[in-house]
Amino acid sequence: MSSPLLPPLSLTLPDLPAGALAFIGLAAIAVLGVLASPAARALLRRVLSPGAAIILLIAVAASVGVALIQPKPPVGLPFWVFADVHYRVYSSIAADWTRRHPDHPVHVLQLTNPALERRMLSGFLAGTPVADIIAAERPVAAKAFVGPLEDVGFVDVTDRLRAEGLLENILPNSLTPWTTRGRIFGLPLDVHPVLLAYRSDLVEAAGIDVTQVETWEDYFRLLRPLQQDLDGDGRPDRWLLNLWDTSGDLVLMLLDQAGGGLFDARDHPQLNAPRNAEVLAQIVTWVAGPGRVCADVDLFSASGHRQRLDGVVIGTLMPDWMCGLWKQEIPGLAGKVKLMPLPAWERGGRRTSVWRGGTMLGISKRAGDPEGAWGFARHLAMSTELAADLYRQTGILPPNRALWSLPVFDEPDPYFSGQPIGRIFLGVADDVPVRSSSPFAMAAQSYLGNALVNLRGWADATGTYDRPALRTEAQRLLDAAQRQLEREIGRNTFLADAP
Amino acid sequence: MIPTHTLRAVIYGLLIFFSVLTLIPFAYLVAGALKTKYDFAATLFLPSGDGFLGIGWDRLTLRNFGALLFDFPVPRAMLNSFFYSAVHAVGATLLCAMGGYGLTKLHFPGRSLITGVVLLSLIIPGPLLLAPSFQLLYQLGLLDRYAGLILPGLTPAFGVFLFRQAMLRGVPDELVEAARIDGAGEIRIFLELALPLVRPMIGAFLLISFLGAWNNFIGPQIILQSPELQPLSVALNNLRGVYGTDYGLIMAGTLVSIAPVMCLFLLLQREFISGLTAGAVKG
Repeated sequence: MSSPLLPPLSLTLPDLPAGALAFIGLAAIAVLGVLASPAARALLRRVLSPGAAIILLIAVAASVGVALIQPKPPVGLPFWVFADVHYRVYSSIAADWTRRHPDHPVHVLQLTNPALERRMLSGFLAGTPVADIIAAERPVAAKAFVGPLEDVGFVDVTDRLRAEGLLENILPNSLTPWTTRGRIFGLPLDVHPVLLAYRSDLVEAAGIDVTQVETWEDYFRLLRPLQQDLDGDGRPDRWLLNLWDTSGDLVLMLLDQAGGGLFDARDHPQLNAPRNAEVLAQIVTWVAGPGRVCADVDLFSASGHRQRLDGVVIGTLMPDWMCGLWKQEIPGLAGKVKLMPLPAWERGGRRTSVWRGGTMLGISKRAGDPEGAWGFARHLAMSTELAADLYRQTGILPPNRALWSLPVFDEPDPYFSGQPIGRIFLGVADDVPVRSSSPFAMAAQSYLGNALVNLRGWADATGTYDRPALRTEAQRLLDAAQRQLEREIGRNTFLADAP
Repeated sequence: MIPTHTLRAVIYGLLIFFSVLTLIPFAYLVAGALKTKYDFAATLFLPSGDGFLGIGWDRLTLRNFGALLFDFPVPRAMLNSFFYSAVHAVGATLLCAMGGYGLTKLHFPGRSLITGVVLLSLIIPGPLLLAPSFQLLYQLGLLDRYAGLILPGLTPAFGVFLFRQAMLRGVPDELVEAARIDGAGEIRIFLELALPLVRPMIGAFLLISFLGAWNNFIGPQIILQSPELQPLSVALNNLRGVYGTDYGLIMAGTLVSIAPVMCLFLLLQREFISGLTAGAVKG
């Protein structure tokens, strides 16, 4: 894949400066012609209505503007990012890097995720232009892992990481999303541990001590008094947890926490693991039936934020990056929320989970300057400045243990009632579950989501809300989902036969 | 029998009600653009306060518009949008009119076949053409260039067919034949005879093309890679953060993006309607 399959033809049409100048020239001639010739003026009056004339004038004026204000051509290794925050943080680091390494300048370009995915894949598969360094999100990067190992478009950095001693410092579970068939194809940028954010103002006003909470059972039992009907209509207006059978990402976090999940450590699908059936059965008892304690509050919309402000839900599963999102989008919650470790599924169990996403820095095999690209990517992975800036702006924690001692992670956060949230997240970071690199992760999540929705539908239809019966039905649905997923994966000979 | 003035009052009442209903999202947009981050999620429309009508007028801000102008490349994107839309609209109108004229007034072998192909191409969904177009533009060296975005849209099949119908109904063959007998060339006939007769269609198609290009998102997103070349539709989408979104900023950006086209539509609405309804009533 190192050479383009479709080399560009030698034919190149004039680029805009030339094209625009030609257009302006023609337009100017036309305008002069109109001014000079009464016949042409009369013709234009007959052909063009006043509105059409306005659009023609806009075309001429905009062409002049575009020709006069020409953009500077980008210089340096192209580095594609998909997030505005990444763009801001990386741009300043790239500018500094370029000053110190003028022979390896870096140019950061922000694309939307769908555009980045399409351009990355067409670059890898069809030889169209592709960046030297790509910040790829997990579902996007996974699409590069579909084919034979030697045809993955990213450079295999396994040996390099080992040789340069980076492997020892990087949290092993942060590497798994970028590892396929035993080889690592990117430098991880995050850990994405999960805690529980709760409305501390409401909980403390009710005199509830959350340090007594160890399991989900404790959580719902101790906080039960807060599930109240505030307007007297006979229905609760406040619920204990933000969760629904259609909240795919939240359900996945709970499955991962419980030790289930979509894939095992070798990336083989395990939808029908008995643990998954158990968790789905439990979730249905939380979101439906007489013991309902959860509400469906959208994580990313203004209406969801409004409900959070109104205290419709007490607790929300909170990956590190969502702290930044809340600060930006719901400033009204400042000082009213705190973080605590996730209640475990059983005593002594795991008190955290992991967000399904994540970002890596990958180097394209078609990079013009692979050494420069590696040098810059390595610089980013080791950069204390990047770690501190990214944490301050988004709450994202670095996977490089050498950076965990930075004082920024101990700073009290006024938004979270003065808690040093960086240190709290880091306290559980070693315990985050493994994330898969399978390109079938989204399909697996979809099958799992369908199984849960069907399970809840079955429970509502039959009025069955006892866990053993739900677990049996969940197992049946998950067995069917597993068969479908295996059939889908089986079509890919490269991954189906992978050890 | 209901008196006329009562009926009229009822009709006007209903129209006003539905107009207000239609304007609610627009009011939300304007209010959102003028609110701070703090007030965005806290209040539905304008923030409450001690001011006139119980509104906190002092909490309204133009900060979002300032940020758009000075912190983000929105002015450049707007210039690009005007450039793409206007140049595309003018070029497409001229070329589609030529195509329509050629398919109706010129007699040449294969005319029916070409007309059929134009008609057939109308049924191909646009998204299906994205990948081959991308490949072709790459091979022509037109990726990340203004020309790569403008050239492929200059002769849409819909426009050619629209002008073909307009020429068929609006330009009598006898008139064209008479002009030819009088010694006029085809270019002169097209410019001086055919175009003035389809003038309403020119206005309507210019506006349709302009709006289509202004709102085009997928094309620029795929073809243009440099931020300096991107139009407003793509630049606004980049304002959506992955780790948090400034909704006020997006509302302000949306307002800025719809204002020019709204003005243009208000200016051209009469031509737009007359162009689309020309020939709709059998005479």
